[in-house]
Amino acid sequence: MPVMSDPITLEVVSKRLGEREVLKSVSFAVKTGDVFGYLGPNGAGKTTTIRILLGLLELTSGKANILGEDVSRDEARRKVGFALEQDGLYENKTAWENLSYYAWIYEVAESAERIDKVLDLVGLQDRANDRVGTYSKGMKQRLALARAMIHDPELLILDEPTSGVDPSGQREVREVILNMAHGEGKTIFLSSHNLDEVQRICNRIALIDRGEIKLCGELEQLQQEMSNREVVIETAEITSEPLFAELKSIPRLGLQEGRGRSLIFVPQEGVKVPEIVSFLVGRGVGIEGVSRKKASLEEIYATILEKAELS
Amino acid sequence: MRGMLAVLKSDVDDILRSKGFLIIAIILGVVTIGAAVGINIPLSRWLNHGLPWNKAKPLLELFMGLAVNYMPLIVLYTFMATWATDPIAREKARGTLESLLATPLTAKAVWMGKSLAIFLPAYIISILSTLVVVLAMNFASILPATGHFVLPLPTAVTGFLFLPLLMFALISLGVLVSFITNPVIGQTIIIFIGVVLLNLVGQVGGRIIWLLPSWDYAFYNLAGAALLGTVALRISSSLTKEKIVLSSKGRWAQ
Repeated sequence: MPVMSDPITLEVVSKRLGEREVLKSVSFAVKTGDVFGYLGPNGAGKTTTIRILLGLLELTSGKANILGEDVSRDEARRKVGFALEQDGLYENKTAWENLSYYAWIYEVAESAERIDKVLDLVGLQDRANDRVGTYSKGMKQRLALARAMIHDPELLILDEPTSGVDPSGQREVREVILNMAHGEGKTIFLSSHNLDEVQRICNRIALIDRGEIKLCGELEQLQQEMSNREVVIETAEITSEPLFAELKSIPRLGLQEGRGRSLIFVPQEGVKVPEIVSFLVGRGVGIEGVSRKKASLEEIYATILEKAELS
Repeated sequence: MRGMLAVLKSDVDDILRSKGFLIIAIILGVVTIGAAVGINIPLSRWLNHGLPWNKAKPLLELFMGLAVNYMPLIVLYTFMATWATDPIAREKARGTLESLLATPLTAKAVWMGKSLAIFLPAYIISILSTLVVVLAMNFASILPATGHFVLPLPTAVTGFLFLPLLMFALISLGVLVSFITNPVIGQTIIIFIGVVLLNLVGQVGGRIIWLLPSWDYAFYNLAGAALLGTVALRISSSLTKEKIVLSSKGRWAQ
């Protein structure tokens, strides 16, 4: 349930561009301290949502606030930093000049010190006086993140921050984002295609497809909820053939396979894990461990989009 | 205001650092020297005929009117045709304009900052060029022959104030149209109205030549500036960030 004090709240937001409804009654909230991943395929509405949050597009209906202010107010963006998919940097200017320009726009006091600090934060202090046109894609993205931080905002909105960046550059950008979140205490809203990246750095996610939010919540909780109920039981010894056959003969236990000393079950509805454990112990099997496999973000993503496709 | 000044300063820096600016400044320097020398040759010969001051004065004021109207017009027009909309097309393509609009700056502050950035360097050069021609005419020909310095007040007001104001209104209109549609359309408007203005000065010079050093002519320019300025302000009342962003994505017909 969105609360006014949340850094980002969208309530039944719709956006129509010409004949096409790009966003359909989108609602979610980003809480203070979140690293919020906004996922979805191409054309799902991620960039449109970000443009609405940054006041670049107007709402057709609904309500959107950032840091308690209506997104339509230019002043609402004073405490928001951003990095768009196109970095928006002036290639004929140096990194220092790019940051100085935005420091002026945001009316940053003691801007020279602040520029030094954010360049240090993204590891570009050595290249401060080089023209941005000479930078690699990864360096440009890091500079865009530095620009997003120039006025020490409370909230960062990042659109595909590692798009088009090579793997080592992606790692560098990811480290900068994590540092912003955990070192600087910023709330971060980021859209991404990169599920591995989102899984590594985000604590909450929303999944959008064709303009509709399909899933939203704590990543950990979603992974538990969406897990495929696969249970792995580690036994003290390799399971005997007769016991294996007996387990197989009880379909509700859902024995899938045995791998060495591991037995893998997908129990049917209503069957609790302790029931399986009791069954095994009753047959003299020593239990060394029980674990439930969490669904990966990729599995969640694929499942939700498959369901959407079918419906 | 501060945000607009940031846009203005950044864009002026870009213009002053560009090779294009240097080339245009050199060409205009050559044109200015050419005009100063070229206009003095017939002027000196004509003044050598010993025309009495009361008969020479209106003709000299007319000469001065032509020089002081044409120089700023040519200089400002050259800059406008070269600089007014191309940088905006580049900013749209590179996403720098979208990033700028995602800040607390208003769309109008960005528009005004960019319009002023194109106008101010051109205005300063136009003043310098016109002053060079005016001083060369007076000190090389008119003063030695007549003992008078000729620069009628209406001519000075037109050349240094009202005509540049008219050109600024045209630049701001062109930049505005470039913001919300394809920059080629903005450029076309600037070139078309600029050519009309160049021709109008020619027409005035040819048919109602005595009008040039008059207050009437000064106020025609002021009225033109007011008209174009009003059109630009009228259009700007519906200027939104959404229109600029969508036009950058080729959706300006929305």
